[in-house]
Amino acid sequence: MAVLPDRKEPSALSLAIVVPLDGPEDRCSVIDAAKAGDLLAFEQLMRQYERLVLVTALRLLGSLEDAQDVSQEVFLKLYRNLGKVQGAASLSGWLYRVTVNACHDSRRRRPASVSMEDAGDLATAAADPQQLSAAGERSRVLEMSLRILSQKEREALVLRDLEGLSTSEVARVLGSSEATVRSQISKARVKVKGFVERYFRRRV
Amino acid sequence: MNCSEWEERLALYWAGDLDAEEAVRTQRHLAECPGCQVFLSGLKSGLHWLQEAHSEEPSPAHFAAVRARVLGELRAERQPFWRRKLLYGLAAAALLLAWTAGLRLQTPGPPAVALSRPPVVAQALAAPPVRESVMPAPGADRPVLSRHPRLVKTEPVMVRVVTDNPDVVIYWIADKKGE
Repeated sequence: MAVLPDRKEPSALSLAIVVPLDGPEDRCSVIDAAKAGDLLAFEQLMRQYERLVLVTALRLLGSLEDAQDVSQEVFLKLYRNLGKVQGAASLSGWLYRVTVNACHDSRRRRPASVSMEDAGDLATAAADPQQLSAAGERSRVLEMSLRILSQKEREALVLRDLEGLSTSEVARVLGSSEATVRSQISKARVKVKGFVERYFRRRV
Repeated sequence: MNCSEWEERLALYWAGDLDAEEAVRTQRHLAECPGCQVFLSGLKSGLHWLQEAHSEEPSPAHFAAVRARVLGELRAERQPFWRRKLLYGLAAAALLLAWTAGLRLQTPGPPAVALSRPPVVAQALAAPPVRESVMPAPGADRPVLSRHPRLVKTEPVMVRVVTDNPDVVIYWIADKKGE
């Protein structure tokens, strides 16, 4: 059985100067101000949700540059649809949906994902694991693990297991049924488990 | 059902994605199957490892860059139409000036012009001096003719124009009265 490295304690999150929008009332007032043209208010809204958008896009696309382009597109869309989202039950759900769709559009212009066999070879041949920092290695394995998945499997796994949405929330974001989402998630988890074990087995 | 068929169920069981009845069946199978226990353990480790990797986010500078781009675009959209057109026009004019200056630097200068008198050509073209007789005006005293009548020489001038192309040389021959 492959031996995985010891689990480390989660690193401290970086602090962001964000005034939390705790309740729907806070969010409504900020959205109202942003709709009226207050860019500072809109910036506050962006700071609140930028992690959600950029990190999700990064995991779906695998490229920080592409993820930044998508994030810009998503926030501009948010600004132009502030009236619509104000009435939405969940702004984060709206943002996840728009981010996933924007990633689809971005991916259409990019090459297809790497196959499982190729990803394994790339992971071991490209860099000496001992030379990568621990964080760099984790990031690399995460990126390669997601790359071996199909687009639907990747979206389901990222939203469910990395972003922590429930199965029903994932189904709403992806516009699928819960049964479909469960099937995609289970396949994705098995593939990822196999890839990670193979990666560390080759490393030893 | 063999263990490979339980893999996807185990993958759902791990995160509580099975309904109650399926979860109970899976739990019973796990209690009896060491292979599936090992599989489940590997599944948990692998996915926990990914979740920890996911918690490491991009640096704050990347987030700031996105904010700056979005706010910059929104501010630019707010500029009045005429001001935007003016800025675009100024930018276009600056580009045109820069391009024209670049062209002038590349354009070759006028060809060098040199005056020269090749001896052969000069001799061929040298005209004999012309005697100029001085006719007295009617009623005037007879002029005194000098022993040396004034001669006016016409000397031709040849202009040799040298161009950038060494194979092309222009000769321009013109009469020039002595000054």
